[in-house]
Amino acid sequence: MGGAAAALDYDAELMLRVKDGDSASFGVLLEKHRLSVVHFLQRMVQNYAVAEELAQEVFLRVYRSRSTYEPTAKFTTWLFRIATHLALNALRDGKNERSQERLDDDTSDMPVRQVSDRRPSVEEKMVYQTRLDEVRRAVSGLPDKQRAAVLMHKYEEMEYSQIAKVLSCSESAVKSLLFRAYETLRARLAHMA
Amino acid sequence: MNCPIENQESAEILLAYCSRKLNPASAAILEEHIQICPACRDFARGQRAVWEALDAWEAAPVSADFDRRLYARIATEVSLWDRLLRPIRPLLTLQGLPVAAAALVVITAGLLLDRPAGPVRPNDAETSAALEAVTPDQAEPILQEMEMMQELNRLAQPQSPDSKI
Repeated sequence: MGGAAAALDYDAELMLRVKDGDSASFGVLLEKHRLSVVHFLQRMVQNYAVAEELAQEVFLRVYRSRSTYEPTAKFTTWLFRIATHLALNALRDGKNERSQERLDDDTSDMPVRQVSDRRPSVEEKMVYQTRLDEVRRAVSGLPDKQRAAVLMHKYEEMEYSQIAKVLSCSESAVKSLLFRAYETLRARLAHMA
Repeated sequence: MNCPIENQESAEILLAYCSRKLNPASAAILEEHIQICPACRDFARGQRAVWEALDAWEAAPVSADFDRRLYARIATEVSLWDRLLRPIRPLLTLQGLPVAAAALVVITAGLLLDRPAGPVRPNDAETSAALEAVTPDQAEPILQEMEMMQELNRLAQPQSPDSKI
């Protein structure tokens, strides 16, 4: 992304204010991106505690880098590059395996989809839970980079070009990653249609 | 239209269609094709199932104390720097100190660079003893010889205008 395009990125402007010592702007950035970063990391490492720990580290790194920050890319590209880097390292080191709180250990506090305005029955909850476990297993079975690409494409609605910048690869490599990832997911989840 | 499933590059049209990101005009053309192409129909059905399955995966809410913990970590880092810099902070506020510090650096660098990088000098004590052993009478011819050597050296320089050697 060129300098002119980056200048239109409001988040980058906020980060430049943080660089100038405006800590309130850091609060605005945190408020705006906290949820997406934590959710991305939850789905990447599939462990609440580790995901929050990593998300803290992401924002801590953003804060630490304030003095050297240059808006050479979209702010979210930079943010998710940090998040992805930390997630891939955590997966490589097996941090998500060591912790006690894997997503599939305790799902009682997970939001349950309401199919109507009445409370879901125990049976409905169990069906939902089974489907959810299948989705999680299917996603966690993907190679790490494919998983990151799918999560950014599906939940963050990022363009191929932005995913390419986050993963430091070409756009065609991203298309290939996504094509293979969705092919695997179709094979594992098509029966859920 | 050409079947998009035939190559990976154009299959992105199918992905965009299934994630409802394709513009209406292109979506209409693709839908016509899907009606007559079983492979694309299967792809689209499978991809929609994946999309809906992923939609069902809601992430957990963020901890209520997430920001508090983050700001505590930031404060810890800031206070660590504060503690490290505290002993020298009064010095940093003194006027003229930066100039003095810069001068000290320049002098130190000058002294270090001025040291000849040649053979090891003889011991200072030995040199001193040798100088004390030379009487004024002995010193005069030695000085004359040194002057002569210097003159010869000057003449021996090829770029010297007086060069004769």
